[in-house]
Amino acid sequence: MPLFRRRRSLKKKAPPSNAAPPDRRLEEVRHTDMSGRLEEVVRVINGLLGDNDDFVMRELRIFGRHPAVIFYYSNMVDQAGINSDVLKALMYPPPQFREEAAPRGRLKEVILCDALHHTEVKLESDLASLVEGVLRGQAVIAVDGIDEAYVVNTRSILKRSIDTPATEQVIRGPREGFIELLGTNLSLIRYRLQTCDLRIKSMELGRRTQSKVAICYLEGVVSPDLVKEVNRRLSQVDIDAVLDSGYLEQYIEDNHYSPFPQVQYTERPDKVVANLLEGRVAIMVDGSPLALLVPTVFNQFYQTVEDYTERFLLMSAIRLARLVALVFSLIFPSLYVSIISFNPELIPTEFAVAVAGGRAGVPFPAIVEVLVMEVSMEVLREATIRLPQQVGGALSIVGVLVVGQAAVAAGFASPITVVIIALTTIGSFATPAYNAALALRLLRFPLVIMAGIFGLYGVMIGLILIANHLLSLKSFGVPYLSPLVPGNFQGMKDLIARAPLWWMWRRPSFLFTGDKHRVDESTIDYVQKPSNDVLDPLKFKEDRKER
Amino acid sequence: MGAREAGGSDLNARAWCKSALALIALLSSVPLLTGCWDRLEIEDRAVVLGISVDAIDPSEAEKEDEITHLRGSYLEPGGSMIRLGVQIAVPGRIPLGPGEGGGSGQGSSKRTVWVMDVPGYTIDDALMNLQQQLSGQLFFGHLRVIVVSESLARKGIQNLNDYLRRNSQLRRMAWMMVTKGKALDLMKSAPELERVPTLYLMSTMDSAVRMGKFPTNYVGMYWSRASKKGQEGFLPYVEMKKEQNIELKGMAYFKKDRMVGVTKPFEIATYMVIKGLNPAGYRAFVRLGNPERTVMVYATSRKSKINVDIRNGLPHFDVNIFTELNLEEKVSNELTVNRSSLLREVGKQNEKALLSSVESLIEQTKQAHSDIFGFGEYVRAMKPGYWRTHVKSKEAWQEMYPRITVDFHIHSRIRRIGMKAR
Amino acid sequence: MAEARQITTIQAAAILISTIIGVGVLPLPLFAVHAAESGAPFITFISALVAMASLVLVSVLGMRFPSQTIGQYSETIIGKWPGRIGSIMVIAFFAILTSLAAREFGEVVITAVLPRTPLEVTVTVMLLLAAISTRNNITTFAYIHFFYFPLLLGPALLITVLALKNADTINLLPIWGNGNIGIKGTIDGILTIASLFQSAFVLAIVIPSMRRPNRALRASIWGMVISGGLYVTIVLATVSVFGSEEIKNLLWPTLELAKATSLPANVLERLDAAFLAVWVTAVFTTLFSTYFFTVTELGNLFHLKDHKMLSFFLLPIVFLVAMLPQNILQMYEVIRNIGQMGLIITIGYPAFLLIIAWVRGKRGDRT
Repeated sequence: MPLFRRRRSLKKKAPPSNAAPPDRRLEEVRHTDMSGRLEEVVRVINGLLGDNDDFVMRELRIFGRHPAVIFYYSNMVDQAGINSDVLKALMYPPPQFREEAAPRGRLKEVILCDALHHTEVKLESDLASLVEGVLRGQAVIAVDGIDEAYVVNTRSILKRSIDTPATEQVIRGPREGFIELLGTNLSLIRYRLQTCDLRIKSMELGRRTQSKVAICYLEGVVSPDLVKEVNRRLSQVDIDAVLDSGYLEQYIEDNHYSPFPQVQYTERPDKVVANLLEGRVAIMVDGSPLALLVPTVFNQFYQTVEDYTERFLLMSAIRLARLVALVFSLIFPSLYVSIISFNPELIPTEFAVAVAGGRAGVPFPAIVEVLVMEVSMEVLREATIRLPQQVGGALSIVGVLVVGQAAVAAGFASPITVVIIALTTIGSFATPAYNAALALRLLRFPLVIMAGIFGLYGVMIGLILIANHLLSLKSFGVPYLSPLVPGNFQGMKDLIARAPLWWMWRRPSFLFTGDKHRVDESTIDYVQKPSNDVLDPLKFKEDRKER
Repeated sequence: MGAREAGGSDLNARAWCKSALALIALLSSVPLLTGCWDRLEIEDRAVVLGISVDAIDPSEAEKEDEITHLRGSYLEPGGSMIRLGVQIAVPGRIPLGPGEGGGSGQGSSKRTVWVMDVPGYTIDDALMNLQQQLSGQLFFGHLRVIVVSESLARKGIQNLNDYLRRNSQLRRMAWMMVTKGKALDLMKSAPELERVPTLYLMSTMDSAVRMGKFPTNYVGMYWSRASKKGQEGFLPYVEMKKEQNIELKGMAYFKKDRMVGVTKPFEIATYMVIKGLNPAGYRAFVRLGNPERTVMVYATSRKSKINVDIRNGLPHFDVNIFTELNLEEKVSNELTVNRSSLLREVGKQNEKALLSSVESLIEQTKQAHSDIFGFGEYVRAMKPGYWRTHVKSKEAWQEMYPRITVDFHIHSRIRRIGMKAR
Repeated sequence: MAEARQITTIQAAAILISTIIGVGVLPLPLFAVHAAESGAPFITFISALVAMASLVLVSVLGMRFPSQTIGQYSETIIGKWPGRIGSIMVIAFFAILTSLAAREFGEVVITAVLPRTPLEVTVTVMLLLAAISTRNNITTFAYIHFFYFPLLLGPALLITVLALKNADTINLLPIWGNGNIGIKGTIDGILTIASLFQSAFVLAIVIPSMRRPNRALRASIWGMVISGGLYVTIVLATVSVFGSEEIKNLLWPTLELAKATSLPANVLERLDAAFLAVWVTAVFTTLFSTYFFTVTELGNLFHLKDHKMLSFFLLPIVFLVAMLPQNILQMYEVIRNIGQMGLIITIGYPAFLLIIAWVRGKRGDRT
């Protein structure tokens, strides 16, 4: 609520000088260049990493003469690749140098250009970078007498296969979801966006994790200020670990105390691409299958990919149903409480009398009844997530059917309460975005309490507070309820209903994109022209007669 | 560096201040949480579905307990007394949902409502006497039917109207009716059809409106009519029959808050004809010559237009009425319905019959000084100059009403004759 | 101004509409009927025209000084101290307006739906709601109004449309009224109804944040047309359903109208509690505007950088003023009197400023 919004200034960022870097010994050798003496490199690297049992330091002689050492972590590299592409290539001199040995002066160049059979090799002289390379899973080859070492990207981490996204399933649309490896994820995006405008910038965040963070955007579409701001916010984040994109989200969002998510996450590459095309920026973290999309506005949380792949009339209706579900999950219980306890005159007399009958044996006031049922529903829901899948399904049935039925039979809750709670819970699951649904689901508790104090009046006050909070929220400067507020007619075509794709020929204006159009005018004209009846039966009448 | 630190501490102080403020705001909202002043569960309310009001003899005053006043002191109100009956829904008796209907078929023996009656000087007095004996708080949000006995209605129902208008729980869409005999009997009645007796009364009235048996006349509309300067209110007049059902016996018309007369049931139709109210629901006999040549017609649609002008210093009204009829039945085969000219003749006869009934109704209301048609409103609206100089007040119009003249121009057309060809 | 000029013309109009539509709508038909009986809709229309004068004056002034609020340009026009005294008057008036609106709605809530809740609580809740929201900047202020204004028009129009089923045009005739009320009563009524519009004066602090201040007049015309139209529609519906005589018996005829209507198919059997609940937003937006005006102008007067602290410091004062009227009838007397006196501030003061500005040839920088 706005009350808490201003407390952002409390946590002032500590000046960088105060914090001790996590790897002090590594920092000692930073900016120390190799001298060319092999023993020195071995001493430094061994000193830093040698304590580990999975660390391998293998000595070899290049072309049979020059002593060298290769360092790597045995479990992070592709060992077969090292054997064939690195070791074999280095041990045997290349054919053109079989006859006469390569001159010592050109050795560095010969190894790089003639010997190593690997695409990703770079030369590094900074000792710290070498260590970091090993940590990342690269193989480092130091050769005696050369003042730079070869860093070969032999990294090979086991990854799970690309799977259907578990939390964002669609009936119509691509079935691919992100996995944990950043490289694979980037490739999933790149093959969907084959344009030179796609920019992927990366940085490393997390003092100890050194997680690779990639910022993706479409040059020319995205507003340059937005990219700058994303960069700025990310570079301010100096934390220990970035284990998931969720860690970053909490540092870059605008209002940290709001229950509403101001950054959208997705595990669908097609969704990321669609958002890049709208002019947003995607942030991906190595090790996290969820990409972050900024800026985010509220309507994204009830839109799905399918809205755009299916026919617009049907999906508009379905989106409407989703909105209704969203509203249900927020206000249904509180409306129930206020009508039962404060304004029973609102419902039809027959029903009111019947409700009174249903509640006659229940010992608690409606608010307590609803709160208890809601809390137990949340417990059930949480339990269902935690339980192994095989048990989970059974439990949810047991929970909903048996407990609900038993509660009514035991006179603990009235049947209508159970109906209301069930509708609310189901409603909250119809929202595609889990985090937004969660926010609304939690907000219904204060609403129920308000309803218990002031009835409908209290519900309204609570709703006004929530709405005012939403109205004051911003995500990277974009008002959270855009395009509804501030009114933008173009954007409203995609707000409640989904207009045909060619009606929405502009990118969202609140993102202040460079290139504004996404549908060419000729296409719009073409769609509106009458279709050409190629196989019109009238045309073929003549043919048939002739035959 | 110093400045920067100062800024930092200032910032800290402000932040501290803000969190303190937030805390104070939170704390101040705690008292709010302790009070649920108006929370009253639906099952803790005594949901009043219907009220009956009878006039009783002041000699019964001894029976009243001294709850709102002390007998013999200056707090005693005096005056006439009423007996108030209420019908309260009994939660739990009325089954939830349609499935478990009637509690294993003995619906009538197991009462779904509770009827109580108390004496009192005023409505509020009586209600307080009642509240003194009840655990649940009386709740009027679902009050649907208010029954007033004819004897009380003839004395005047000003007090009742005042109480009901003032009470915020009451709905303007309740039905108020006047009953022949004791009003309390209607509360006690237990008709077979509906699970809740009052709802039966209500649905009787609602479907009467839907079928065109009575004009829409919720209590709110009655109030509006009654307070207009150029119009009087009317209420449905009902009587309880032996099957514990009720019959719509006519319209009880009022002069201000006092009932002054009652019409016959058919005259409800006459009223609706004059006002041009749809749907039309009454049937009428039309005789073409001898009694064997009688047909029955029913009106499908009515229109009326009332024009006012001033003649001889008094308002004169021209009422143009147009009704569309269908032939529904004939008495014998003596008459063959096969010519359109015959239908025209039926229409003519109907016009004649209608005219006489319309005029008699007007005459009846004139004698009672009760302008239920709102002719006065037409004068007020169309002839404001005349109204300002000659009428101005409700009482003046009540005086003038018997002296006005009304001309009726009735046109009836028969349109259809049903499925039979002759 | 620290913030960029963000507010569009439509948003400015929305601010006016949702500010004007407030708790005053509930007794409005009663005021109108007391002024002219069946001529009530016409009287309401006249009153809207009178209220329009204030808005036109404020927008003309605002367009003359496009980057200053009323407090700032009054100091430019009539000098520092006289300007400040004027500002203090306006601020005090708006503070009183806030407290009276909160009190009036508190009374409605207590009478109609929450009879046992203490008045202090309902009033405090409304005031707190407004105070919390005034801690936002003017852009969010505009957003909030823009968001709520369809929510205000919707229910009001819904109830009117549903009520039309029971409407009777004879109740609206003659459209000039029957002349039972003297000219004094009619003028009194016109002023009272016009005073219901005067919270629209808030435009004076909106103009400096408008993207195009020269469109302020257009915004105010639209705002008046829609809100005035709604006022007239409500009076029209109420009078045509109840008739003017019955309205004289009703304290809040608009609420009674909600009581007399039910949604088709009886989803909700009566709309009064629901209408009142929705009307919380209308009252909130009005309170929000008047209180925002009070707080920001006071902040400007003392040259505070931040008006946020003031919003809670001022709250007890506003609350105490709201508690002053002893009973509901006295409250309405106070509302009528203060409202009519307020017209001097909302029409007289800007007119005075404008004339002086013309005479002295003062004009703000066009940035």
